[in-house]
Amino acid sequence: MGERAPPKRIPQVNVRKISPDFCEFVLSDTDPSVANALRRVMLSEVPTLAIDLVEIEVNTTVLNDEFIAHRLGLIPLVSQRVGEFTGAYDTNDDEENALMDIVFTMDVKCTGDDTLDVTSNDLQLDHNFQDIHPVAYHPSGMPMDPEAERGVLLVKLRKGQHLKLKAIARKGIGKDHAKWQPVATVTFQYMPDIRINQALMDTLSEEQKLEWVRSSPNPVFRVNPVTAQVEVLDAEAYRYDGEVIAKAKAFGKEGLVSITPRQDMFIFRVEGTGAMPTQQIVLSAIEVLLRKLDTLQQSLASEAAPMAVDNL
Amino acid sequence: MNAPDRYEKFVVPEHLLKVEVRKDTKVADAATFVIQREDHTVGNLVRMQLLEDKDIMFAGYKIPHPLQYQLLIKVQTNGSKTPQRAVQSAIGSLEEELRDIREKFLADVARFGSGEESMLA
Repeated sequence: MGERAPPKRIPQVNVRKISPDFCEFVLSDTDPSVANALRRVMLSEVPTLAIDLVEIEVNTTVLNDEFIAHRLGLIPLVSQRVGEFTGAYDTNDDEENALMDIVFTMDVKCTGDDTLDVTSNDLQLDHNFQDIHPVAYHPSGMPMDPEAERGVLLVKLRKGQHLKLKAIARKGIGKDHAKWQPVATVTFQYMPDIRINQALMDTLSEEQKLEWVRSSPNPVFRVNPVTAQVEVLDAEAYRYDGEVIAKAKAFGKEGLVSITPRQDMFIFRVEGTGAMPTQQIVLSAIEVLLRKLDTLQQSLASEAAPMAVDNL
Repeated sequence: MNAPDRYEKFVVPEHLLKVEVRKDTKVADAATFVIQREDHTVGNLVRMQLLEDKDIMFAGYKIPHPLQYQLLIKVQTNGSKTPQRAVQSAIGSLEEELRDIREKFLADVARFGSGEESMLA
């Protein structure tokens, strides 16, 4: 490719918080389409593992088979190793050795008089994949810290009820079914660009300034105690509610402040489900997007023939 | 009952090409790219990147029907390059940009890992 495209954007990333299930970062100097593509990919195209097939052997519980199968599917499984697996629709050159299924089993019977909770902790792991397990997993029967999370409740059993099944987990993406989403939610917020018209602001009395500052439902502005000037306290707290603009209008001072969403700065918040650390979710999303673009690039290159008749 | 299978959304059927280039028969230097099993994620991304290019006269995308999982990108250039070249270079810059984002993200995450503000519990 001889002709080099337009002035290149140099994006910047500033990570503010990062923990296994929450990540906040600022992506700047890029286009909203890039931010949105990232968000959409994190939501629905980052592969994870989830229970996909369930064979029920005995079910005398109050819930029907498909109800239980659905609940099993929604349990987040720790999916750090998802990259080693092949999804049901993926192509793999090495079909023989492709890893696909992780088999969990469960056999719970209530013998006591009290109701028995069946949770994700009652799943027996696949011997080949001991590190693939439901989130917050403590195998039942093992001594357990009472403070620890109790696992995901599936169904409650009364005396004599029995549940026995085999559950097969596979790799998949959120586009197929929401159970494969690695995140509870991903959002990005446009950084507001707030400009106060100081000349007009100076025509307000002290009380009016205070009243105007307080009209914002979230504290965005403040009156500087020293200079008595109104200044921006926290631009990000602005929720595009328009209250301060309405207030300025009520004072007959339109144009007191102009607030526009910046088109080149985005605050991302990624909330994971526990299936994958947020860092891996973001990186995997970039990877997926790159692979998508690469597929397009390759198909375009192989499409070169019909375009060769062109004058170029 | 007659809903398409869920995998139809992301598995390209064997008889279809991932990308088909249709030259516009009436307009010079214009083409429509029919991309199978892609959506707004790629559509908007590529369109916006194309619009950055000063040689592009027109770039737009549409998803003609929500149950036909295909994306159309229409491009017209000023003749200094083919629409296909324009799309290729747009995708190239996007890939470059994403690699840059990945690198910067990794570099900034490392700041936390190295202990100064270890929040990776």
